[in-house]
Amino acid sequence: MHHDHQNAAASETATPDEQPYQSGLSRRQSLKLLAALAASTMLPGLAGCDSAPPTPDTTPAAAPGATIAEHWPELNLTPVTGKGYGTDPNMILPPESPWPLTMTPAQLSALAIVCDILIPRDGEVPSASEVDVPAVINEWVSAPYPRQQQDRPLILATLSWLDTEATQRFGNNFTKLTAAQRLAIIDDIAFDHAQTQPRFARIVKAFALLRGLVVAAFFSTPQGTKDIGYVGNTAIGGDYPGPTPAAKAHLDTVLRDLGLTAFAWQPV
Amino acid sequence: MTTAQIEKPEVLIVGSGAGGAMAAYELTRNGHKVLLLEAGRDYDPKKETPMFKRNGDAPLMGAATPDKDFGFYDATIDGGWQVPNEPYTSAQGSEFMWWRARMLGGRTNHWGRYALRFSEHDFKGKSRDGLGADWPFEYKDIAPWYDKTEALVGVCGTNTGLDDMPPSPEGVLQPPPQPRVPELLVAAAAKKLGIPAVPMHRAVLTRPLDNRAACFYATPCGHGCSIGAAFQTTTSLLPMAKATGLLEVRTDAMVKTVTTDDKGQVTGVSYIDKKTGTEHSVTAKVVILAASACESARLLLNSKTDKYPQGLANSSGQVGKNLMDSTGANIGALVPALQGRPIYNEDGHTANHLFIPWWGHQAQAEKKLDFPRGYHFELGGRFGEPGANIDTGLQGYGKALKQQVKHKYGAYVSFALRGEMLPNPDCYLDIDPEVKDKWGIPVARFHWKWSEHELKQIAHGLKTAKDILTLMGAEVGELPAPEQAILKGGQIIHEVGTTRMGASKTDSVTNQWGQSWDCPNLFVMDGGVFASNPHKNCTLTIMTLAMRNSSWLSAQLKQGAL
Repeated sequence: MHHDHQNAAASETATPDEQPYQSGLSRRQSLKLLAALAASTMLPGLAGCDSAPPTPDTTPAAAPGATIAEHWPELNLTPVTGKGYGTDPNMILPPESPWPLTMTPAQLSALAIVCDILIPRDGEVPSASEVDVPAVINEWVSAPYPRQQQDRPLILATLSWLDTEATQRFGNNFTKLTAAQRLAIIDDIAFDHAQTQPRFARIVKAFALLRGLVVAAFFSTPQGTKDIGYVGNTAIGGDYPGPTPAAKAHLDTVLRDLGLTAFAWQPV
Repeated sequence: MTTAQIEKPEVLIVGSGAGGAMAAYELTRNGHKVLLLEAGRDYDPKKETPMFKRNGDAPLMGAATPDKDFGFYDATIDGGWQVPNEPYTSAQGSEFMWWRARMLGGRTNHWGRYALRFSEHDFKGKSRDGLGADWPFEYKDIAPWYDKTEALVGVCGTNTGLDDMPPSPEGVLQPPPQPRVPELLVAAAAKKLGIPAVPMHRAVLTRPLDNRAACFYATPCGHGCSIGAAFQTTTSLLPMAKATGLLEVRTDAMVKTVTTDDKGQVTGVSYIDKKTGTEHSVTAKVVILAASACESARLLLNSKTDKYPQGLANSSGQVGKNLMDSTGANIGALVPALQGRPIYNEDGHTANHLFIPWWGHQAQAEKKLDFPRGYHFELGGRFGEPGANIDTGLQGYGKALKQQVKHKYGAYVSFALRGEMLPNPDCYLDIDPEVKDKWGIPVARFHWKWSEHELKQIAHGLKTAKDILTLMGAEVGELPAPEQAILKGGQIIHEVGTTRMGASKTDSVTNQWGQSWDCPNLFVMDGGVFASNPHKNCTLTIMTLAMRNSSWLSAQLKQGAL
């Protein structure tokens, strides 16, 4: 094990205000990060990013970024070979680290930045990286199951794509950009609408998957679950109380607006 | 689970799920010594149920995986669409999915607990429309046994007075939970179309029963229920049967064949002890198969001898035939009017509180519909616990992103159609001539094809759900073709019919008591005996038949008839 060495290497490659992503305190804490650190070789950029230099698009265009041609990273991914948790896992104490993690520290650091652009700290509510969302994504893309292995190249390609795009636009990796520069890129790929430039069509879809995962992982944490307002999974004594007066009043309004008041449900 | 050692059991039961456990309960209660063999491992819900566990604490936020098809916390152990070391095959051009659970209590540990009685319509479908097969008894013959089963199991719901829902006697049903807001909206929209929505009947206690607690309205029933509120045989029938001192349970006992003597009489079974890999024989006066419809049929077909070259109990040639599942299709939409609604605890008993039973018997009698059998809708949509639902339709980032997610929360309403399928000659199982499982037992091979009846029913259901959703202000969009929308054979996990009962030994495997026509001391007490597969979920009727038929068997044993 070379934890010390790896940590030293990590701190050398990060600028002072851009510390590598460090997993916080939860079940997904240090063990996983250490595993990731131990398993990875430090690379200056993102591991798995092996894209050919894109040909600059010389067509004049007003929109920012429009002078860059569509690019997509070629990933040379080592297949995940770990085993699943099996058909009889301990459900009372779920496995801490069910399979080897595969994301590199550099990938995790980039991911942490994207996570916090998607879900920044909001007053008392922590950001996505503060509640270890990158660790959940790492567990996801490292899982030896078909769905997760289908998602893996899309997630890793998104991170790789961000570096290529950042380099072409601003001459540096995504993690080294200023907040404004990062947002200039994210603004181009975070919306799937009529104004989306054709060259972003593919990354917009991949980014939507990453966003979906980050959102799911964030709201699955205790802080996220509280933030969305879920109030269940708590024992109730006596009968289930049903909708609150406020919820009933809202339903009455909905029924009225839809012309359904006369058909309101009656107990049978 | 420690159990008594039973010397010379009178009755041997294969399987500890709905049918087998009920048979063990009824027989031991009547003083009979029973040995029960279960192919899966021992399982204690009190110690092993992941009560109150959060999705975020599970790998992959609890997402479904090939190891745990219904999510990490699903109660199913060593099971799912594939069981390690125990394959099955599908004939060319067929696709069938076979769900098994290798654990004490079988699939009752995770089932949906929907517990609806079949009606007089359901038992006599052929008399009405000439299709499929009638059951060899009428509703009134089984009604008292439904009463007893519901009282023992504990079912919440109400007597609705609808023709699809025969009433239970006063005091049998426990009170159902209050409906939730999305269900109330569906109910109003459906009512405008003349379609009633009523409380679902579920095998979930809302009042304490025996030493089982009432539901506390938290933690999904599919995880299993350590307090016994959601019915499973491992917290009810099996401990009750064991308390008599007359039941021995052997787990990890994979039955290979039913054994017979020279005269063709059933003598017992031969099984593999999965822990040691060794084969054992046990004998008894009577053998009851309750291993699940497909597993029991496989066992009979694998028990062929010179005397029974087509397999045991198969002089009719019907073993493995008439395989039916429920039809299934899902449709849902975001309901704008429900966006941003006030949040409250909508867990309830964690399944739908209101559902839409089949409302079209009269229309079918008047030949106004182009499909013969009914369906129901199970309603979904509530403030659920966040988990691995990956929404790829979000836009943007930051505060606006969060607002979108919160706005949509609890605003998606879904309809799960579950309908009656008719038996057809293309749907059956036989034995694969080449493939064997780890224990050397030849495996089941499935043949499957939906007929026009099911596809037309699905088309009707999709259109009806769309009409209701549209009245709720939702945009549903273009409906898929029924061929695309219908779920795969086996996917609803209501497979029945493969050892069907009937009035004649020429076209059925057992009589109305589940007693094989060919071997009087061989019984089937799982869903295999169903003559038809009404849309209402099979478990309550499996248990009811097992109680009724075990009671009859007990009387036979006491009279020395077997």
